[in-house]
Amino acid sequence: MNSTIICIVCPVSCPVDVEWTQEGGVTGIRNHLCKLANEYVSSELFDPRRTVTTSMPVDGGDWPLVSVRTNPPIPKDRMLEAMDEITGVRVQAPIHVGDVLIANILNTGCDVIATRNVKIA
Amino acid sequence: MASPEIADVVVIGGGPAGLAAAAEAKGAGADRVILLERADRVGGILNQQVHDGFGTKVFKEALTGPEYAAIYEDRVNERGVETWLKTIVTDLTADRLITVRNEKGVQTILAKSVVIATGCRERTRGAIGTAGTRPAGVYTAGSVQNYMNVRNLAVGRKVVILGSGDIGLIMARRLTLEGAEVVCVAEILPQPSGIAGNIVRCLEDFGIPLYLSTTVAEIHGKERVTGVTLAEVGPKMGEVKGSRRFVECDTLLLSVGLIPETELAVGVGITMHPATNGAVVDDSFRTSIPGIFSCGNVLQVHDVVDFATMESEKAGVAAATWAMTGKLPNPVINISAGAGLRYVLPATISGEDSVDFTMRPWKEEHDKSVVFKSGGEVLRRLKMPHMEPAGMIRVRVGLGRFNNVVNNEITAEIED
Repeated sequence: MNSTIICIVCPVSCPVDVEWTQEGGVTGIRNHLCKLANEYVSSELFDPRRTVTTSMPVDGGDWPLVSVRTNPPIPKDRMLEAMDEITGVRVQAPIHVGDVLIANILNTGCDVIATRNVKIA
Repeated sequence: MASPEIADVVVIGGGPAGLAAAAEAKGAGADRVILLERADRVGGILNQQVHDGFGTKVFKEALTGPEYAAIYEDRVNERGVETWLKTIVTDLTADRLITVRNEKGVQTILAKSVVIATGCRERTRGAIGTAGTRPAGVYTAGSVQNYMNVRNLAVGRKVVILGSGDIGLIMARRLTLEGAEVVCVAEILPQPSGIAGNIVRCLEDFGIPLYLSTTVAEIHGKERVTGVTLAEVGPKMGEVKGSRRFVECDTLLLSVGLIPETELAVGVGITMHPATNGAVVDDSFRTSIPGIFSCGNVLQVHDVVDFATMESEKAGVAAATWAMTGKLPNPVINISAGAGLRYVLPATISGEDSVDFTMRPWKEEHDKSVVFKSGGEVLRRLKMPHMEPAGMIRVRVGLGRFNNVVNNEITAEIED
């Protein structure tokens, strides 16, 4: 089959032309400016994933919120489920970039990690 | 008033551009570098941009805004840049005397080099002249981003977004993830203003409709927004008769473009560029006034922070070099934008070093080339599978290519 998939790895957004089969995977790829597109289109066809970014309330911090992301990206069809899971969890300052705030969310093997330092107020 | 503080380099604005410029100015050997920031922390817009996608050029990975900002905040601190927070610049003279106000009162700084990195602000309802009542519930997209991601405030439950700029698209996803219903995104132009990747991951992923050639003709509601009237626009931006329809919502987000904060640059008399609304600069990011440099979104609106960083690092090094030696290569070669390009920066170059040119096309183009020419001869040709106005193009032209420049004139254009 032939598909055009917009690569979302970087803002250049290459519209990548892909030839693929269900059994053999990607058999041809063109119209991409860098090799990061190879991995992305393959994932997008067979196991689409997204990084969910949001924030969680912090107690005792110099910010009311800590920004977080899933690491690595979670399956695309579980984004809203992950949001439900993250919503309602409060965390305590101090927090450092990279701290695991929720481990193995939804049994995906992905963690929710902090993306901001929050000091004790 | 007390006698002025003396500095080698003063950077105005502590967002991504100012952080990069200050860090590199200090790294290049400038003795005293002061970074002025009006907010209570550095990082600028990155502090509220909790989504990922930053750093794919500089760090080869997709970081979130706060992570990206933290790297540069650490860098300016480690290198010994003085950061003055909650400090607003009220005046800048051509002799580089800067007047600031902060908690200590009014102070002045005399700088050998000044880098203007004041960024952009958002266009508002007033800037686009939308008709209707004036209820609560009309926000710019960036304000809502700040409310939600920094202050933990929700803004509404049923949202229409006008404008398909990147911040608007990002907020469509953000609002959806937080449980609001985004009814649609309306874009007055026939093509999206944001990058294609954001159309995919912010709208298509969540089934949010995008209506092109469509605008908000009227806002309804007395106390609070109760809805908007959408209308289609024709090729000459006139309203298509009979196309009006009412859409119920309690919130309208505007993502209708950015205005460079050029008050300081204009006030000091710097020559401005008609296409970018930023300063005219050479390849050292010098403006028309000696010792004053400009970089980042106040120079040209960037869609990729990495490019703003790279540009600002060069500006920072140049500002330090000027402060320490009073010398920079003389910009003798003029650059002009030819067929297909809205603008190209820098406007002048020395020809003594490689240059990263930045430019935007007028319209979407496929399988064309960006070509640099002088005297009818091609200096550099780069094939581009895809170009669009929403995506800044960055092309490096190597030092050796400037050997054959005729009459000190180079034209950049799009060719088949």
